[in-house]
Amino acid sequence: MGTRSTSMISPNLTPLLDVVLQLITFFMMLVHFGSRLEGSNRAVRLPVAPAALPGSDLTFDRLPVALDQRGGLRYGGRVLLGAAASAWWAEQAKIRRAGLELLPPGPSGGDELPTVVILRADRDASYGTVRRTLAEAQEQGFAKFSLVVLRREQP
Amino acid sequence: MSFGMGMPASTAATLGTMADSAAAAVAPRSRRYRPGPPDEVFFPVTPMLDMAFQLLAFFILTFKAPTAETHIDLYLPATPAALPSGPRGQARPSPSRAIDADLENDLLIRAEADDLGDLKALRLGEAIVPDLPALGSRLRRYTRLLGNRPLRVRLIADDRLRYEPAARIIATCSAAGITSVRLAQPGAIPALRGLPPRPGAGGGAR
Repeated sequence: MGTRSTSMISPNLTPLLDVVLQLITFFMMLVHFGSRLEGSNRAVRLPVAPAALPGSDLTFDRLPVALDQRGGLRYGGRVLLGAAASAWWAEQAKIRRAGLELLPPGPSGGDELPTVVILRADRDASYGTVRRTLAEAQEQGFAKFSLVVLRREQP
Repeated sequence: MSFGMGMPASTAATLGTMADSAAAAVAPRSRRYRPGPPDEVFFPVTPMLDMAFQLLAFFILTFKAPTAETHIDLYLPATPAALPSGPRGQARPSPSRAIDADLENDLLIRAEADDLGDLKALRLGEAIVPDLPALGSRLRRYTRLLGNRPLRVRLIADDRLRYEPAARIIATCSAAGITSVRLAQPGAIPALRGLPPRPGAGGGAR
């Protein structure tokens, strides 16, 4: 009986590791932990505005709201209309002012809130509805708004 | 004469001679020495690959396709002209809020809607603008002319205009370098020349 020589087969893993590290780098570059889709709502189809530039970074305190086709203000699964929406804006402003009392006065001064209202309005909503919604927020002291639009039609 | 620890000079010379002869004897042997192939150094790649796969799985699972969403920033301070809440001329400015004194210098963009809510006519000041690219090029020309001075725009659109064309107008203004876009109600300013008053477009329509 002859002796069988066994040799250890060791695959070369270095190219595989190279590819995997390349993939990791690719996904790390594309990862986005931000809140770009904050407040997204399936009931709202965003308008397409190709001229819109990439948005700037949003501040810490954000208030995302959605406005559906009929003009209903959607927040936290609720749909608010008319006086209920006005009362909601007042409530939100009151909550934020109560929090701001603990902080030193900001550079803007006055009763202007530093909160950014992120408005996701339906493309088929009327401009009047959007304008009135913004005006209601303005009356409560909100001054910074961010309108969410699409730069191209999404599939 | 002695070297070191009392070693006589003759002994040292003898030792030196012996060392030379020993070196001469070793030298041919070292020339014959053939070192074998060096041992392969194995870097343990497998744990690193395991870790890399873990990371890869994490990033693949948390990956989201880039969205086409973007933001149009609007700064709408509560000024009397920007507040469409009360009837015309009866806006109540809060004393603590800053009031812009030169709102009348804003550039006016007027958008009219047809019965379906689509954009029917667009005017910059009193001039008719055929489409949004033309509006953008004119606004860019204004911003170039003004240099570092801020250019502000007031959008006066029919309330029944769909939001999408209105958002496109605002985006065009923003892309043209307009620092501030205000949204005014249809009756916020007197009717422009050549534009007949529209029913229901009076001040305070809310």
